[in-house]
Amino acid sequence: MIIQLNGIKETVPDSLTISGLIEWAKEGDPDLMVEKNRQYIYPAEYDTCPVNENDVIEFINPNLGG
Amino acid sequence: MMDQPDAGDDRYLRQTLLPGIGPDGQARLAKSCVLIAGAGGLGSASAFYLAGAGIGHIKIADHDTVEISNLNRQILHADTALGQPKGVSAAARLTAFNTGIQVTGLCERITHDTITAMLEGVDIIVDGCDSYETRQVLNRASLALRLPYVYAGVNGFDAMVSCFVPGQTPCFECLFSGNAPPSDQPVGVIGAAPGLAGSLQAMETVKLLLDIGRPLKNRLLRISGLDMRCHCMDLTPNPACPACARA
Repeated sequence: MIIQLNGIKETVPDSLTISGLIEWAKEGDPDLMVEKNRQYIYPAEYDTCPVNENDVIEFINPNLGG
Repeated sequence: MMDQPDAGDDRYLRQTLLPGIGPDGQARLAKSCVLIAGAGGLGSASAFYLAGAGIGHIKIADHDTVEISNLNRQILHADTALGQPKGVSAAARLTAFNTGIQVTGLCERITHDTITAMLEGVDIIVDGCDSYETRQVLNRASLALRLPYVYAGVNGFDAMVSCFVPGQTPCFECLFSGNAPPSDQPVGVIGAAPGLAGSLQAMETVKLLLDIGRPLKNRLLRISGLDMRCHCMDLTPNPACPACARA
């Protein structure tokens, strides 16, 4: 299926969850934040939150500098 | 204590013309007290605009001293302040900028032990920190004292801003896990990034103090400076939050 990941169209495996997408994208930041269709997704939801065709997903590295 | 600003002062003319502020709003700002937690890049920008807006009392806290590598972004401090405590340098610069407000420079480290005294009389916490640990201190104090906490953070060309209001929004720790180990490596940042985010914090602070407009509650503003993308994502409380889930 095709989704938009970090502003770029990507073809990803079907039936992914957010956890699966993180693994597929090889994201290693332990503080990673995830936005799906403009909604913040909490880590507790990663294993159950599905990724669907045409979803717009952003992987966000938190900004903690000042 | 300095003379409090006169609500009719021409200094504030251009903002008292605005609906939602006016002379009454200006008088409320003059009676307000804000803690700016950190006199770095974020704190420099927010402090100037809050001082310019006529916030009656600004407390600005930072335990560091001014270093030459700060000066690409920490516009509160000049070459002549190198080696000075940032709290002292910041207070002197802000007092010179607006003599009609009270400015208190605090040079203590912000910890769970010191924050309560720092927040005495304070209406809003403005985040000017550069670490997860200090933000956690601010967040816990915000929740305990029911004070709004105006967060911002920067990295490179990017910035994030949100308003955490106890009882109305998620809190800082709902969003940020702090799982990554602390690093003593400096973070690269272009000066305009904290300048932009700090300016937005000042605007949000004025809006919260005056209860006007639509502050960044339940929203996180993200700015990607390199490709100049700005957007807000919607936030909901985190039922597993270690800080506010049972507050």
